[in-house]
Amino acid sequence: MHGIQLVNALAGLLVITSLLVIEAKKPATSAILYALQSSVLVLVFLALAATTRAHELYVWSGTAFVTKVVLVPVIMYRALGSLHDPATPEGGLGATRALLLAAAVVVLSFLAVSSVQLPAIAELKPALAISLAHFFLGLTCIVTQRNILKQIFGYCLMENGSHLTLALMAPKAPEIVEIGIATDAIFAVIIMVVIGTRIFRTLGTLDSRQLTELKG
Amino acid sequence: MDKLALAAILVSFIGAGVIPLLPQKAAKWVCQAGAAIAFLFVLILTVRFGTGGTHATTTTLLSVGDIQVFGLTVDSLSVLIGFAVVFIGFLITVYSGAYLNAGNREHPDSGRRRYYAFLLAFIGAMAGLVFSSTIIGQLVFFEITGACSWGLIGYYEKPRALRSAMKALLVTHLASIGLYVAAAYLLLGTGSFALAGMAGLGDTAKVIVLFGILIAAWGKSAQLPFHVWLPDAMEAPTPISAYLHAASMVKVGVYIFARAIASSGEVPPVVGIVGATMAVVTLIYGFVMYLPQKDLKRLLAYSTITQLSYIFLALSLASLGSELAFKGAIAHIFNHAFAKTLFFLVAGALSYTCGTRMLPSLRGIMKRMPLVGIAFCVAALAITGVPPFNGFFSKFVIFAGGFEVSGQHLLILPLIVLAMIESIGSFAWFLRWVGFSVPGPSSTEVATAAPLPVAMQVVLVTLVIMSVCSSFIAASWLG
Amino acid sequence: MALLTLLPVPLIAALVQLTACHFRPLSRRTVEAVHLASIALVLVLSLLTVRGVAVHGPVTALGHWLHVDALGAVFLALIGVVGFLTGLYSIAYMRHDLAHGEVDDRKLGVYYGFFSLFLFTMLLVVTANNIIMMWVAVEATTLGSAFLVALYGKRSSLEAAWKYLVICTVGVAFGLYGTVLVYANVAAAPVGIEGAAFWTVLLQHADVLDPTLAKIAFVFVLVGFGTKAGLFPMHAWLPDAHSEAPSPTSALLSAVLLNCALFIVIRFDILVSKAVGPAFPHMLLLGLGVLSLAVAALFVVVQRDLKRLLAYSSVENMGLIAIALGIGGPLGVMAALLHTVNHSLAKALLFCGSGNILMKYGTRDLDTVKGVLRVAPVSGVLLMAGALALGGMPPFNVFVSEFLTVTAGIDAGYGWLMIVCLVLLTVVLAAFVRMIAGSILGASPPTVAKGDVGPLALAPMAVLLVMMLIMGVRVPAPVAGLLREASAIVLATEGSDALALRMPWQNATTVTLAEPVDAGRPTCSPNALRRTEIEDHACSNRY
Repeated sequence: MHGIQLVNALAGLLVITSLLVIEAKKPATSAILYALQSSVLVLVFLALAATTRAHELYVWSGTAFVTKVVLVPVIMYRALGSLHDPATPEGGLGATRALLLAAAVVVLSFLAVSSVQLPAIAELKPALAISLAHFFLGLTCIVTQRNILKQIFGYCLMENGSHLTLALMAPKAPEIVEIGIATDAIFAVIIMVVIGTRIFRTLGTLDSRQLTELKG
Repeated sequence: MDKLALAAILVSFIGAGVIPLLPQKAAKWVCQAGAAIAFLFVLILTVRFGTGGTHATTTTLLSVGDIQVFGLTVDSLSVLIGFAVVFIGFLITVYSGAYLNAGNREHPDSGRRRYYAFLLAFIGAMAGLVFSSTIIGQLVFFEITGACSWGLIGYYEKPRALRSAMKALLVTHLASIGLYVAAAYLLLGTGSFALAGMAGLGDTAKVIVLFGILIAAWGKSAQLPFHVWLPDAMEAPTPISAYLHAASMVKVGVYIFARAIASSGEVPPVVGIVGATMAVVTLIYGFVMYLPQKDLKRLLAYSTITQLSYIFLALSLASLGSELAFKGAIAHIFNHAFAKTLFFLVAGALSYTCGTRMLPSLRGIMKRMPLVGIAFCVAALAITGVPPFNGFFSKFVIFAGGFEVSGQHLLILPLIVLAMIESIGSFAWFLRWVGFSVPGPSSTEVATAAPLPVAMQVVLVTLVIMSVCSSFIAASWLG
Repeated sequence: MALLTLLPVPLIAALVQLTACHFRPLSRRTVEAVHLASIALVLVLSLLTVRGVAVHGPVTALGHWLHVDALGAVFLALIGVVGFLTGLYSIAYMRHDLAHGEVDDRKLGVYYGFFSLFLFTMLLVVTANNIIMMWVAVEATTLGSAFLVALYGKRSSLEAAWKYLVICTVGVAFGLYGTVLVYANVAAAPVGIEGAAFWTVLLQHADVLDPTLAKIAFVFVLVGFGTKAGLFPMHAWLPDAHSEAPSPTSALLSAVLLNCALFIVIRFDILVSKAVGPAFPHMLLLGLGVLSLAVAALFVVVQRDLKRLLAYSSVENMGLIAIALGIGGPLGVMAALLHTVNHSLAKALLFCGSGNILMKYGTRDLDTVKGVLRVAPVSGVLLMAGALALGGMPPFNVFVSEFLTVTAGIDAGYGWLMIVCLVLLTVVLAAFVRMIAGSILGASPPTVAKGDVGPLALAPMAVLLVMMLIMGVRVPAPVAGLLREASAIVLATEGSDALALRMPWQNATTVTLAEPVDAGRPTCSPNALRRTEIEDHACSNRY
């Protein structure tokens, strides 16, 4: 079926955009790339909505657009603009290693998903595997990045991954579920930005390895 | 009947709870009054039980669903030991009242509330343990005595004392794991914590429960490999050492083992063999450790370890079928309690008046302090088992029981012979120190000794009398 | 409908306080009055709800969105009681901080506002019926309490708050993934299930879960909510956050929040056990529990910071609860729930005690804090009793649940493991005893003025200690009944009869009891003691 192939293709695009978010040199660029990545996510939702005739998904794509394409990038862009710490070294793995890692994660996710026996998602398994991989890519971002604001992007990527899983597996979930998750995610980002800002003002750094007061 | 036992336990704990709320001056009197009332209750109980006015009972006080959780057993075993525990506790409170003051030459102290509160709680916990009809009750009071001894050993708050206190608590707590396991097995096997249910366990479960109890008992009674805490516990104020060594802490172990043996009917022989072997090993170890000791209290500590080994030996023989050895064990718990208390309080009197308890500097006690001198002799002879003092009779019965059993278990015979050799050796060793310290001209420390407070004199006299009489009480009690 | 009025109370209080301090800080008295009203109402309403559940069975409200059964009621009662007592303690503690310039009027409003918000989010966790809403609520607890952790705005507190936020949001994202997997799995079932996000519905249709997905989901849930519950190896945030937060908040974090996370783990354990059998989830719980206990016990011993010591002890106790859950069976589940309650009370007491030490000494470094008993006698006694109790000393409550756990373990064939656990618990006891010996006993430094903290700080602690003693001597009948019903809910999946819990010893055959020793009789010897079937009042004549 054409729609499903589109969904799977778009999901593949998600991995690429998330790699871009992780590997972008400037944090502000990451914010813009994140908006791009979220737009892809919205497109996936729309494609899914059209294919599976799940009208709830149209609402989802609406809220996802507002929160993920507009609000989060704007908040992050502004925060990253005002908090600039040139001393914080670039973290990350470097493009080649990131690409290899992403490939490995995707393969592993495919293996994990392959044993699932659910007729409803039989054709969407590639997309499901990618959503799982996406989740772990976000985790990688958090672990490898030294700039605490970029760690927030990692969280956002993880959240996108689980959002996509939800959409794939339960497209007919009530809107309120989706709104609850989206709102929480927004609040999480806001609060992380607030605490991050206070850390920058108090400690004068955004480097997570400078946070070493508490140990043992 | 059980109401008297319960009242004795409750009075002690309530008193202990009240003491911290009162001004410091009142602490001593409340503690002594609490102990006196508890003693009175136990005395009435003992007299009524002894004159045949009542019979043995078990009363359940607390149960969850149909599981008996806590109850009191009043029988000839618990009443006899309960009497000794509370009586000596009372004597200790009287002695402490005089010992803890600014006139003490070794440890001037004002007698703080903590001391009296812990001591009274200790008496209550001991009584609770002795009268408890359930294994969980024993475990609870086992742990409470551990906590009380911790509070008391560390009383002087010197780093060494606090370390020793912690050692005592942790070593006995480690050993208590055996009791945890035993309690769990008993509950799972019988649906009750009642000790009386042990007889109904299958052989494997019974062995596990008995070994669990035996390990816990070794811990409290300072037997190998858990003996390490006892010599260090000498950091405690001397009246506390007396109580720990004679009537409380270390007697917890032998008592729970005795209770278990008595409750479990036919005991698989492996328990008795292991118990007897470990007892003799500890006995020899304790004797060897006598030799280098110069501090009177440390010497007494090792003597305690060996005396408890005798009791373990006797109980192990009892589990192998000797009725005589069981009586001997119980009588020895009772007799040793008075004799050892006396010995420690003599040590306490010496350090109070002379400011030292180092044996080499204590000479010619008789000349300066006849009462203390006599008490020293009586204590030494009673501990080493010289007739007509109490230690002789119980040891004699234990050996008789040993020969009785050795007919069936050949291994027992060499163990008994070893124990007898130890008995003679320790007699010789104590005689040496008695000859060194008691007669002859006084050393400087003794010659310049301060007068002994009346309360302490009264307690010493009482204990001297008991060291002679206790074996007759025990003998007539146990029949 | 106590439940419907319960939730808005702290939410309104929080909104009032936070709005007010955004515009113009209220006076201290007004702030405290609002706070007091909020926590008192939460206490009363939560207990009323719990009573309703105990008497009339599960309560459902707002369509199906809120649902409190006996299991939820246990945790609800804990939030109410511990929330009230630590809230009361907060008043004394924050007054002290205000007087010493640690916080200003605005921060005081922020503190009380977030305190109420935190309470609200935790109430939402245990009353939510929709599993997605459960997740939302757990996430919200992190967000609500992060500001409490960061309250003092110091370098270390900000650092702690950041670690807390990142680790917990990431952890909880795992929880979301697991939740989504479960929900989506049931929702996509061919039979078509209405309201698959509702816990009550899920439970009835657990059989449609795909076994592989259910297992993957449980791993995600355990990692996710286990992070929040402070299980090893996801516990890294816990010592930092618990030690840096103001002491009453530490108490709330340790005594209640960890339990809320654990509550969700239990919910999913029920569900997954029903779908794939208990072996898989129990193995994971047991493994994580033992690891948590072992690692935490070693960390507890080396701590020189009082609050970090207490925090690691929380990890250790959460491990113990996980072990009990992993052992399973009526006894194990009962032990787990009882330990949850017992640990809550004990830990709340000790964190409040650490607050007293902070008030008197201004530090929580155990090498500096000396002689508490002489400086502040009542606090000293309460701390000493609380620490011994937490170390598992009878007659306090922790002893009971630890013993039950060991019994359950032995019954399930984990005898050696239980002995290892007991040795580890001895290590923890050693740490507490060392803390007492080093800091509570001994001479006090001359720089610290004598005199205890006020009664407002001591009263909640005294109440906690009394409750611990009562729970240790005899669990009150209503509490025992509630715990029994809650265990039945957890066990309903293990194929046992939900209503009649059958404890292992109830299978024992008739028990023969030995008579009391009656040495006066000529036949007295241990072997001559005749075994007889006797009643409780075993009597035999003495001649």
